[in-house]
Amino acid sequence: MTDSPARIPGERAAMIWGVLATILVVAATIGVFLVAPEDADQGVIQRIFYFHVAIAITSLVAFAVSCVAGILYLRTRNDRWDDVGEASIRIGLLMSVLVVITGSIWAKASWGTWWVWSDPRLVTYLIVVLIYAAYFVLRSSAEDDRKMRYSAIYAIAGFASVPLSFYSVRVAESFVHPVVFTGSGANMPDSMLIWFVVSQAAMLALFIALLELDLVGRRSERALRRLALRLENA
Amino acid sequence: MRRRQLTALVRKDLRLELRTRETIVAMVLFAIVMLAILQFGFGTRDDDLTRFTGGLMWVTLAFTAVLGVGRSYVAEREQRVLDGLLVSPVPRVVLLGAKAIAIFLYMTAVEIIVIPLVGIFFVKGPYWDSIGWIAIAALLANLCIALSGTLFSGLALFTRARDLILPVLFLPALVPVVIAGAGATHAVVGGAHDMSEWRGYCLFLAAYAILFALVSIATYDAVFDD
Repeated sequence: MTDSPARIPGERAAMIWGVLATILVVAATIGVFLVAPEDADQGVIQRIFYFHVAIAITSLVAFAVSCVAGILYLRTRNDRWDDVGEASIRIGLLMSVLVVITGSIWAKASWGTWWVWSDPRLVTYLIVVLIYAAYFVLRSSAEDDRKMRYSAIYAIAGFASVPLSFYSVRVAESFVHPVVFTGSGANMPDSMLIWFVVSQAAMLALFIALLELDLVGRRSERALRRLALRLENA
Repeated sequence: MRRRQLTALVRKDLRLELRTRETIVAMVLFAIVMLAILQFGFGTRDDDLTRFTGGLMWVTLAFTAVLGVGRSYVAEREQRVLDGLLVSPVPRVVLLGAKAIAIFLYMTAVEIIVIPLVGIFFVKGPYWDSIGWIAIAALLANLCIALSGTLFSGLALFTRARDLILPVLFLPALVPVVIAGAGATHAVVGGAHDMSEWRGYCLFLAAYAILFALVSIATYDAVFDD
């Protein structure tokens, strides 16, 4: 009776990460809106930065995870890695869309327009969204083993395209975008930096929690299907 | 051994193309239609579009590339040549190389017509003195198109609705190539001789080609792993 699904593996981890993510998101929201000092130059809209940048970094982490999962899938042909890859891209894509939306709001507030083609980061993210949206089109039109194989290959090629899109829009450099992190460290006071770190941790925890939850969902779906099959055969 | 396999495969593609003249003729015609559509799409009968030369050229070439890359595996699929190739003792990476060389040659053939045509149609300022620089950037871009195109067309080959899948997969990956190709062209056309910008874009194209070559070599075995 090993596969009696009393507890799905990973359920506990998903729960712990979920609680941690909730606490951190609440703490970050309070900190960002009530505690962090107001930016002298940009005013209240600068507070969007804490989420905008944290989500952007987390989405890149998600795509990196999907690339590694792709490599591992091609090496081991273990379905588990396909699950991890797809779930990561799903969350990463959602976050990239949020990056574009929050970036657009920030652009409206500080430059007076919803979209600025001369801003390399906003344009990069638009390309990234297009690249990863295509992943799901590919997935939905291939089957079984091929679907997983192609997805893995595309996740690797997609992740290779991210730095390329990043640099292609920067060859003709633009200086519109506020650059907060430079080679010489963070360009903000500690009272802001601490809330940025908290909100970054919150977004990363949220990513892990969503990933774990997604994997648990898939596992329980499989367990259910096995159970149904067994009941049919009984 | 590998070199003989590679030349044999490239010659197969080229001979097929020379006999049927299906792909290149269609690509050239498509490119000319694109140029005309873009001109009319501007809604102006302005003769001098020098400022937009890079964009006009590379939007046209990117869509033409999608068309050509989409055709590149048709013979293999329809005549079941691919089954034969896959059971023959040819390493997958040679298949990749041969297809990439064929796409590279198709694109070069199209550009031999399209690049001068863009000059005639749209540029009233100096153009012909910088055609060598444009050609170098175009050859580098062809390398990028050939490498990423081979990988993506391999992925799209056995999917449902593959004609729809290929542009959706391939065009976002081509955006950096369009940016760099248009940027490099813009840097040298119309009396602007911004060589440092041109060099930056060309280096970028080279980096793109190298990165996609590595990704393709690493993953191509898995594309045809049936």
